[in-house]
Amino acid sequence: MTDVRSGQPPGDGAAGAARPSVPVARLDDPHLQPAARHPRRVEGIVALSFLVGIVCFGGFGGAYWLNAKPWIIGTFFGAGLLALGFGLAAWGKYLMARGPFVEERHHLAGSAAERDAMAAALVQRTGAVVKRRRVLGGLFAAGAGLFGIVALFPLLRSLGPLPGKIFDVTNWRRGSRLVDSNGRPVHVDTLEVGGIMTVFPEGWQNTDEGQAVDQTVLIRVSTLDTVTRPGRETWGPQGYLAYSKVCTHAGCPVGLYEQQLQLLVCPCHQSMFDVLDGAVPRFGPAPRPLPQLPLRVDRSGYLRAQRGYGQPVGPGFFERTTT
Amino acid sequence: MTRLLKNRFALPAALLVAVGIGGLLSFATGAGAQGGQANISSGGGVGAGNFNSGVALPPGVGSPNYLGGPKNSGGANSSIRVYAKVDGRRVLVAYGDKDIIYKAPPASFIAAGEALFAQNCASCHGAQAEGSAIAPNLVGVGPATVDFWVSTGRMPATTTNTVQAERKPPRLDATQALEVAAWVNSLSPAVPYVPYPNLKGANVADGADLFALNCAACHTITGLGNALAYGTFAPSLHVATAREVAEAIRTGPANMPRFTGNLNDAQVRDIVAYVTDYIQHPTNIGGAGLGGVGPVAEGFVALLVGVGGLALVSYWIGDRA
Repeated sequence: MTDVRSGQPPGDGAAGAARPSVPVARLDDPHLQPAARHPRRVEGIVALSFLVGIVCFGGFGGAYWLNAKPWIIGTFFGAGLLALGFGLAAWGKYLMARGPFVEERHHLAGSAAERDAMAAALVQRTGAVVKRRRVLGGLFAAGAGLFGIVALFPLLRSLGPLPGKIFDVTNWRRGSRLVDSNGRPVHVDTLEVGGIMTVFPEGWQNTDEGQAVDQTVLIRVSTLDTVTRPGRETWGPQGYLAYSKVCTHAGCPVGLYEQQLQLLVCPCHQSMFDVLDGAVPRFGPAPRPLPQLPLRVDRSGYLRAQRGYGQPVGPGFFERTTT
Repeated sequence: MTRLLKNRFALPAALLVAVGIGGLLSFATGAGAQGGQANISSGGGVGAGNFNSGVALPPGVGSPNYLGGPKNSGGANSSIRVYAKVDGRRVLVAYGDKDIIYKAPPASFIAAGEALFAQNCASCHGAQAEGSAIAPNLVGVGPATVDFWVSTGRMPATTTNTVQAERKPPRLDATQALEVAAWVNSLSPAVPYVPYPNLKGANVADGADLFALNCAACHTITGLGNALAYGTFAPSLHVATAREVAEAIRTGPANMPRFTGNLNDAQVRDIVAYVTDYIQHPTNIGGAGLGGVGPVAEGFVALLVGVGGLALVSYWIGDRA
């Protein structure tokens, strides 16, 4: 923003003679007056808004530290940005000098004396203008600085620890007993044909890790031993089939079982897996079949895993080696 | 008018209003879309409505296993078992516990049911309910299955040219539905009997957990239903009665799985209570439910209010004071 009215200090005769003299603006010049009718009031609003921003960013940092609910963290973050932005916009809109400013065209280059005088005038006058809002400036700097610091929190946390083998293995082991989410073991009589339930390896139900990678859909398609693919002759005793519930596309829980169509449907992107054919995807974006868990019936009639999945469950990742 | 046009807020505000009205209209007309989906692939013969479709299923697959006794349909630990003498034989007429009582329709209903079946059902299902190329065999399915299909109006069907029978005003009333069920059951008695859930003492919070685990995948967490594969859909639960919900869980109508041994009667009763209580009368603590249809409606409002609001804010920032 250029304001020529501050251009020429009095007494600079040599340059002054070359062009029409421009009057020196005074601090109470109407063009420099704030647009607001009540500057003090607006100053208060702006200050309050910066303070709200500071409090909110502090709240964001604290909430992040305490691992609060995402909507609490997000509310603090959004409200902080909103308050800071509102304060800045209101400051620029109502407290800054507004035009229209008129500048007469003259020689572009000023003399050394003129530049010195200009610099002196800038320091003198704009310094005076800015100094008047020193509190606002300080508050904004505090808010922006705090924002910069707390914005680093998520970045720092994302640097570690490394996931290790968590993507490659589940907690299904040789002989793991199938239990429901309440820990009740699944008996061979539990489901009738057309039934479905979600099962976990015993001991991992109701755990974060169990619900993430171990969740498995158990479907009974028949009363007779069922073979879904060559090489899986013993995997489906008495019509029980178990597939990983984690979609191979984006990791959603594949829980929609249509018993007449014999399809498992993923609710997120409508991938459809053929239950009777090794959960090969028949439609949708899923790139691989759902891994099948080999089952057996133990002597007491409870269902157990013959062994683990033997391949990573869920969506692909960079280091995934088996197909 | 010119003054209105000169107002910088007039154009964006008018755009917002226009988009808002258009969106609401599109939601209003789209409300029937779910019903329309049933016909999408009706010509394709996808097997759902084609009972001799030639799809080679492994032995035993898809064949009902209703005759194994009441052990997994709430009867395994039934504290109540009621028997009656019929023609000198001892017949189970009711079983269950304090949470759900399963009752067979009274034997006196059988004669009326035979006439109703001949009038309304036999043209597709056959004179002895033995099934045909266009309709399944009903022998041994149990009274709850028959009562569910008839009392929800899905049967008698008005057409066989759909992928999925839809709920409609029932042609037979509640008593007639039980009469048909009584006659079909008399051909080959089987469980499950017609469930009567006792919702007193139900734990709605447990029901919500069980609903999220077992039902929400297809029926959605708001119970509004959703599209599934090949033109089938999970219907809305907002009009289902308590008995119908219990019947559906225990019998697994059409593409719905059956829930037997993995849900006991108390759990089924809790789910029924949650559906008839919260699902059908949601509190919408967020303020507006937006139809409960999920991200389309919510995204529309977010775009309209969020982006529209941002546009107005940027007008405020850029506007001269």
